[in-house]
Amino acid sequence: MSTNKPMPVPTDISAPFWDGLKRGSLTIPRCNSCGHWIFYPRRHCDKCWSHDVAWQEVSGAGSLYTYTLTRIPTLPDFADEMPQALAVVELDEGVRINTTLVGLAEDEIRVGMRLKPVFDTVHDDGSTLLRFTGVDKTITPRGQAPATEQPATPAPAVTVVKVPVSDEAAMRALVSESFTPWSNEVVVDQALIDEFARLSGDDYWIHTDPDKARKQGPFGGTIAHGALVQVLQSRMKIPLGFEVTGFTNMVNYGSDRLRFPSPVPAGARVQARARVKSVDRMKSGTQLVLEVHTHVVGAERPSVINDLVILYM
Amino acid sequence: MALKGNAAIVGAAQYRPEKYQTAPRMFHLEQVADLASRALADAGLKADDIDGLVINGPQFHEASVFVPAMAAEYLGLNLNFAEVVDLGGCTSVAMVWRAAMAIEMGLCQAVLCVLPARMAPMGPDEDPSWMARAMRFGGHSTAFGAPEAEFDLPYGHMGQNTGYAMIAQRYAAQYGYDPLAMAKIAVDQRSNALANPDAMFFGKPLSAEEVLASKMVADPLHVLEIVMPVAGGAAVIVASKELAAKARHRGAVIKGFGEHLSFKSPTYAADMTRTPIGPAAARAFAMAGLKPADVDAAQIYDCYTITVLLTLEDAGFAPKGEGMRWVREHDLTWRGNFPMNTHGGQLSFGQAGSAGGMSQVIEAFTQISGRAGERQLKRCDTVFVSGTGGVMSEQGALILQGA
Repeated sequence: MSTNKPMPVPTDISAPFWDGLKRGSLTIPRCNSCGHWIFYPRRHCDKCWSHDVAWQEVSGAGSLYTYTLTRIPTLPDFADEMPQALAVVELDEGVRINTTLVGLAEDEIRVGMRLKPVFDTVHDDGSTLLRFTGVDKTITPRGQAPATEQPATPAPAVTVVKVPVSDEAAMRALVSESFTPWSNEVVVDQALIDEFARLSGDDYWIHTDPDKARKQGPFGGTIAHGALVQVLQSRMKIPLGFEVTGFTNMVNYGSDRLRFPSPVPAGARVQARARVKSVDRMKSGTQLVLEVHTHVVGAERPSVINDLVILYM
Repeated sequence: MALKGNAAIVGAAQYRPEKYQTAPRMFHLEQVADLASRALADAGLKADDIDGLVINGPQFHEASVFVPAMAAEYLGLNLNFAEVVDLGGCTSVAMVWRAAMAIEMGLCQAVLCVLPARMAPMGPDEDPSWMARAMRFGGHSTAFGAPEAEFDLPYGHMGQNTGYAMIAQRYAAQYGYDPLAMAKIAVDQRSNALANPDAMFFGKPLSAEEVLASKMVADPLHVLEIVMPVAGGAAVIVASKELAAKARHRGAVIKGFGEHLSFKSPTYAADMTRTPIGPAAARAFAMAGLKPADVDAAQIYDCYTITVLLTLEDAGFAPKGEGMRWVREHDLTWRGNFPMNTHGGQLSFGQAGSAGGMSQVIEAFTQISGRAGERQLKRCDTVFVSGTGGVMSEQGALILQGA
């Protein structure tokens, strides 16, 4: 799984906690002197300052102390989780943990509800995050399959209206302020970015060097070439809802406008939608401008805006 | 602890809030010199009267260590007291009482408290991506071993918005929630900004409907309940009684103060809805020998509407859990029965980084010295000022009284 989401970096102090999560076990330190449970892990008791503390396994049962649903991702990389269900969970032992809720619909979430832990493997090195869900929920572990092997989602079915290019009024009626539903989703992983770098010759490190990009880049990791995301439109089936018929030749005439307003981090899923921006009769035929927006799934800002010009002759 | 009332704010200067893109770029040292001379002129004192300096350490552009010495050298100051404050939005309030303490203790006679918050010019070899990197996680540390880097960031907990949203959500579960009352806080403050030509949102009226129709950022916070970051900068001069007597304007005497903090993430608060301003304000009022009902105005740190609500309750102005009803029943404008954030608050004035909180200190001084123009309160002798840093992490209170 290749994403730019921040990953926990265990320290000597916290390693038993993270190692425990990998085994599906929640262990936290407890003070032998005063009995206080300690979270996050420390070598001392933050109540009595004793250094006589020991790791103990707990059940992970707890209740929801508070939460929020984000309507703007806290980082573009979290766009695939929208809305993020950020939560504070209070374990029955009394400690509170910053986490996220999974497997719960928005209207199922209530402050005070009982919760159980979900051990979520988020990296192919086995890194596991502690999330929570409702006690009556069953969460299937996502396993360790890399994102590349996940099949792209199927394109949504939609009824298609045939519009003869000669019917000027019907053609003009396609122009719309509102966008189509979303296309299928496509994963933009590092392997795809690397292939595009080889093909295009654009091997700038912000695209191809995950280590350097993580340490020095502004986005916490590599990002896809704007041009790559643009051409991926061919892999996205946009449910346009119409099909122009009755022409002899259809020409992709290029683009009136091409913008890359926000980056696509490696590992992100993207999807597209479109609207007919204009239809004009020209000497050479009928020109239709299709405004295509490609977004990281869940992101409000598009990553690519392309005013695609199609000429029907 | 008792104060003798020997220290007063006697001068102030503040850049008009501006959008970052269009604000002038100045080195922080240059901003410090510029703000200092303006505040000095406002006070009517001489440069060599100043013998104390309180300045920001974090985010100071030209240095990350030895900031006071560098600034003293640049300004040409002889200091008997130098201090750096690192308390986020609580910094301004914290600066003023530290200056007052130093004066009360006889360490110095006049202290410059200064917070530059315009951006510095970009160096020829400077890579602008460092800024994007720094902004990526808001106020969250990404350092190896930083608890928040390890236990917050991987889950997407970062920045300020979601922390405040979770406090509001907890409050809602415990006490109930009235979105209209929360919107009223923003709306009343906007009314105040309409009488303040320096405010970012001067001339732009706002209705509760507009607040509630604005984009939801993190439930239950709308974007119009959240401050807008702007470029700016501010300075005040705190001086001894002797010097204050020579100053041009009526001074704002520091009669009481308090400060409280015990966590960075409110997740670890004993009770998320009982905020640190409680003990801070109680101490400040006790020190001043006053009660909340004695103030003529309150300048309450307002990074979010929920900050204001909880401060009104925990500082003792409104009963706990009844803040929303209390807000509905009070007119918070300069014309009203509880004048609050009479400059518009940061929600309508703009938040110039950690100098944002100084706008509240300066408004208190402006009202006390009778120079608030159209929004001047008829009677303004005693003002409560609060500061809030982090996610309700560090809070401070001042009681200021006209000399």
